[in-house]
Amino acid sequence: MPLVKWKNHNIQDVEVELLLGALKQRYGYDFTGYARASLKRRLEELARYYQVKHMSELISVLLYDEAVAQTLINSISVPTSEFFRDAQVWKHVRDVILPQLQSFPWINIWQVGCGLGEETYTLAILLNECDLAKKSRIFTSDINPAFLEDARRGTWSSQRLEPWRENYRNSGGRADFDRYFVAKGGTIAIQARLKQSIEFLQHNLVVDQVFKEVQFVVCRNVLIYFGAELQEQVLNLFARSLERGGYLLLGRSERIFDTREKHPDLAEQDAESALYRKVIPGGRHV
Amino acid sequence: MYRLLVIGFSAGGIPLVTQILESMPADYPLPIAIVGHWPSGHESHLAELLGASCQLPVSAAKDKEAIVAGRVYLAPADYHLLIDRTMPSAANFALSVDAPVKSVRPSIDVLFESAAQVFESSLIAVLLCGANSDGADGMVAVKQLGGLTIVLDPQECEFSTMPRSAIAGTTVDYVSSMDEIVSLLRSVHEKP
Repeated sequence: MPLVKWKNHNIQDVEVELLLGALKQRYGYDFTGYARASLKRRLEELARYYQVKHMSELISVLLYDEAVAQTLINSISVPTSEFFRDAQVWKHVRDVILPQLQSFPWINIWQVGCGLGEETYTLAILLNECDLAKKSRIFTSDINPAFLEDARRGTWSSQRLEPWRENYRNSGGRADFDRYFVAKGGTIAIQARLKQSIEFLQHNLVVDQVFKEVQFVVCRNVLIYFGAELQEQVLNLFARSLERGGYLLLGRSERIFDTREKHPDLAEQDAESALYRKVIPGGRHV
Repeated sequence: MYRLLVIGFSAGGIPLVTQILESMPADYPLPIAIVGHWPSGHESHLAELLGASCQLPVSAAKDKEAIVAGRVYLAPADYHLLIDRTMPSAANFALSVDAPVKSVRPSIDVLFESAAQVFESSLIAVLLCGANSDGADGMVAVKQLGGLTIVLDPQECEFSTMPRSAIAGTTVDYVSSMDEIVSLLRSVHEKP
């Protein structure tokens, strides 16, 4: 008699679950709360890279070969960004949010998912230009220590400079953008003085807790990789981390659905920028 | 029964997709997800433009947004749009900023492949025109998983690399004129 297969259980979906289970049990990296569609694409790409026919063939390799496991972990959490990506949003940060934050005696900014540092240094530049660098600190966090190391180094191919210049100008930047970098050969390095206000720390949104009270959380295009449940959990973590009146900035196409029901502490402030604010009791929040 | 319509286009496609949406009745029974290539930040403008000329509500898809019948969703510029299965029989939209595929983001392939994996034979995929081969791999996936594949007749469009690549890549169900595509898509509505 032939085996009866579960309905609605696509075989590749089964492979993904088994692979995530192996990563979690062997190395403690828990990606089971991640949204599956893009995760599956990345794993399929890795299967092609390692020239195996099925994703599940990667399981025995990653269990016994730490280098393969590390490659997998890196590619699941791979960052991508640019300086002043979505210039209009950063213009809003420059013109509206930072002036608002000025009223706090001290500004802690938590920038989640460091990438290669593009958004972290975007913030550092803005703080400088708004004359807030002396009373603020940026905490940039990532699950992956290798990415933190890259972000701390702050170097990129000089070919990337051109679109960033344009982004910068469109965000209302008036200075000479190139002066924020030191060019050497084919690479550019961020000026050392911009690193002074930044702390790089390893933080895992899945398991780690609040580490500091902050006035501004910047978490752009990280939550899209999480499933709905993990998203809720992380939004709660942000709400707990924020001081009342502080801001949360998400990616341009990310939204918190049901703020009233599920996140009464967070109120939408500007839909175009995906900006939220932690509610002040008794205050007006629109 | 069909449960989702996906449409892909690139260069020269905006008038064509406008023509399709204009012909859809207000009670069209399928959700429609569209990937096109347009400059970053312009999707809300395009949503307004398309929304003004058709009877269905048009908006840029948001991450984790529910997929509702009779609504039109555009892939936001600079994000891939995907379909995520959330439960054995439920799905929503998902976005990613993963690397461009065939040098484009959003990629038609990414939407079509993820939609095919979730909706299988309940999916209709339409590929219009463009100057690159985006969508061809997506059409292969849709066809393999039992969905309905419709490609615009390359003779009917200025930029025909896109439909030609799809036709070369798989045996599509229909190679049709714009008028035929419109009546095919409308007939879904007329079916009991």
